[in-house]
Order: sequence, then C-alpha cells, then structure tokens
Amino acid sequence: MSQAAIADAIENNIDRLIEIWTSIVRDDPRIESDDALSKPELIDHVPAIVQEICALIRKNEVPDVRSSHEARANVYIRYQQGYKGRDLIRELSLLRITLLDHLKEISEDKEPLFDSEEVHNASKILNLYLDEEMRYAISVYGSAPSAPEAPEAKAL
Amino acid sequence: MISQEEFDRFVRDYNEDYRLLLTRASRRHYDCLITSFMVLKDFYNMIQVSYDSGQYKFNDLPYPFSFRADYVLLRNLGFDDEEIANIFGFLHYVKETQGMEFEACLEAGTLEMCSRVR
Repeated sequence: MSQAAIADAIENNIDRLIEIWTSIVRDDPRIESDDALSKPELIDHVPAIVQEICALIRKNEVPDVRSSHEARANVYIRYQQGYKGRDLIRELSLLRITLLDHLKEISEDKEPLFDSEEVHNASKILNLYLDEEMRYAISVYGSAPSAPEAPEAKAL
Repeated sequence: MISQEEFDRFVRDYNEDYRLLLTRASRRHYDCLITSFMVLKDFYNMIQVSYDSGQYKFNDLPYPFSFRADYVLLRNLGFDDEEIANIFGFLHYVKETQGMEFEACLEAGTLEMCSRVR
C-alpha cells in the first residue's frame, strides 16, 4: 500500500508507543537526568517528533536541517532542562528501538499493507531523522551556548 | 561568507523576532501573523543551515521554531496560562481561516496564501 500506510500504522499507535518509551526511559539506570522531570516534561516534544517522522515517511522524504524542527526543539528544551547530553542521546536511542520494534511488529502482520522495501525506507527515514537530532545535540552540547532568557513583556 | 559576529547577530535578531511574534499571538493580534511566521521560518532555516555547515558556533542558542506541542517552552519563555491559550488559539485561527494546519500553511508558502486571497 505504501509509505502512507506505514506512517498511519505508527501514528495510530502513538500514545502506546510514547507510553512504552516513557517506561523504558524511567527504568533505564543509565539515564539520570529524567529524575527531576514530571511525566509531561519528560514526554514534551516526543509525540511531535514521531509525527514529524511520520510526515517524512508519508512523503518518502529524507530528513534534513529544514525538516527536523521538532528534533531541534527537543534539543533546546532538554538543554534548558539541564539534561545531560549523554542522557539525551540514550533516550533518543531508546526511542529509535521503540519505533523500530513497532515497525517490525506491523510488518509481521498476516496481511501486511506494505512490502519489505517500504519498511526498509521507513526505517531509513526514522534513523536519519534521529541521527539528525543527535548530530544537532552533540554540536549544541559541545559548544555550551547560553540559553536565551525569558522575555520581558514587549510593547507592540 | 558572514563572520561569527554577524552570525551571532542573526541569532539574536531571530530570538527577538520570535519572541515578538509569540507576544503578538499571546495578545490575539493575529493579523498577518502567518506571513510573518513564514519569513521567520526562512530566517530560522538559514541560521540552522549555516550552523550545520560547521563554520559557526552558537554563543546564544536560538529558540526552537516549533511551538505547537510546547506548553513547557512557552512557560519558560515567560507566558502565563491565558497568553499560552491565546498562542494556541492562533493555531485554531489558522485552521479556521486557511482550512489547513499552521505547519501546512508554512509548507505551502506564500504562493498558496496569495491564491487564497485573490
């Protein structure tokens, strides 16, 4: 059926996937930075990231700087939250595994709506997207910029 | 090629403009905001593409362009509950007036917007 069917199969399960990912992150003893975060703070941009990945899969488009806004937003927020860079990389790695596991699961349906090449294309897109975020995270954390201050009320 | 100082100024200008547009949305000044965000998105992409070239560093981190999902970000930016509701209200306003989501509008670009007002 196509890439669109794969994107739908991910998006229709987004709540369950985020729930699985949240639980794996919370249980991972190697991630320390999440301790101080509430569940909404931890989840934050992750659903939007998955949706942006799905939009790219639907269009069969290779992610780049211009099509990974949610990934960049996530790096910004994590940096502001005082999250350690290595913990961010680890949680992205866990998101990758969660999504790849789901792809495997839906491709093993008795009557799959897509062929192995389409699944392979979708996994390439999601891998490249998360690599794009990691690349950005590494360069931001490496250069340690100052995060901008909260604004003063501005006259229009 | 631009210098690091010029790049820093671009980031500062972007951050200021971003805050200004969100402030307008927070006060329900929605007129012409979509086109302003379109221009700002190009500016943001230019900054990120330049940064990605590896020739510059961020001395100040640019605000993320995306704000749809982000109550936490908007809180950090100093907006209160009513202002945040107005910012999210802008997204509804776009959907109602343009018949598509805010992000789709930005993607469609100015040509699509122009064809709608003709």
